Amino acid sequence: MSNLKNTLVGYATYRGREGHYSFLLHRLTGLGTLLFLTIHIVDMAWFYWAPDMFEEALRLYRSWPFLIGEIALIFAVYFHGINGLRIAIVDMFAPSKWAIAAERNAVRWTLVGSLILWIPSAWMMLSHAVEASKGAAHLLTNLGIF
Amino acid sequence: MATREVKISQNYETIAWKWMRYSAILLIPLVFGHVLMQDVLVGVYQMDSAYVAKRLSSWFFQAYDIALLGFAFAHGVNGLRQVLRDFIHNPKVFRVVSIVLFIFWLAITIYGGVALVMATQARLASL
Repeated sequence: MSNLKNTLVGYATYRGREGHYSFLLHRLTGLGTLLFLTIHIVDMAWFYWAPDMFEEALRLYRSWPFLIGEIALIFAVYFHGINGLRIAIVDMFAPSKWAIAAERNAVRWTLVGSLILWIPSAWMMLSHAVEASKGAAHLLTNLGIF
Repeated sequence: MATREVKISQNYETIAWKWMRYSAILLIPLVFGHVLMQDVLVGVYQMDSAYVAKRLSSWFFQAYDIALLGFAFAHGVNGLRQVLRDFIHNPKVFRVVSIVLFIFWLAITIYGGVALVMATQARLASL
């Protein structure tokens, strides 16, 4: 148990600013994406193994809680991808950019890039949901949310 | 600055680390493309069994999905293993955790992979 506590205290109290936050965000977005990916592989496999459950899963994905989750998920995917690319490029082609000031700058640009991809994507996903709720109200009432 | 080449012998961990990096570079176009198409442009509200069947009847998307399954899930499970390495310092325990994760990865990959291939075969047979 002390391993768990020591590591978590280290994660929380290390004062590396941008480099530290991007490390934490990289792990968090990676784990979140893996959680969804595992569920997603299983429910898509139901297309073959259990067609009834496949339809049920699609219905669930159309609910508001899952829409919020999906919008969070694509931020996680964008950030994890761009941040991973930053780490790989700096490692392979520009190790001098690991210097603290350059890294802090690169981390900020990583976040800006993720938001540039995420904001229009999130807006489009929300508008799909709004269109669906206008065109087919039964879709939402069937879920028992409204 | 003077540099010199150092030969490092390849072991399992070196290969796993390289897999993480090379799969990551491939995953950026694969996953970003998948997310943009399925979540952003098409959206879950237009998806049903017919959409998935139509999508899987294309050899391109079948290959695309197999590549996604193979690269993304292996990358994810190995990533989880690297996160757990921070928390589990006992090598014996870590070895057991690694084996459990490997079995988990293999089981889910087979479950999804069989569905992907069989669904496509079934669809092609019915054409």
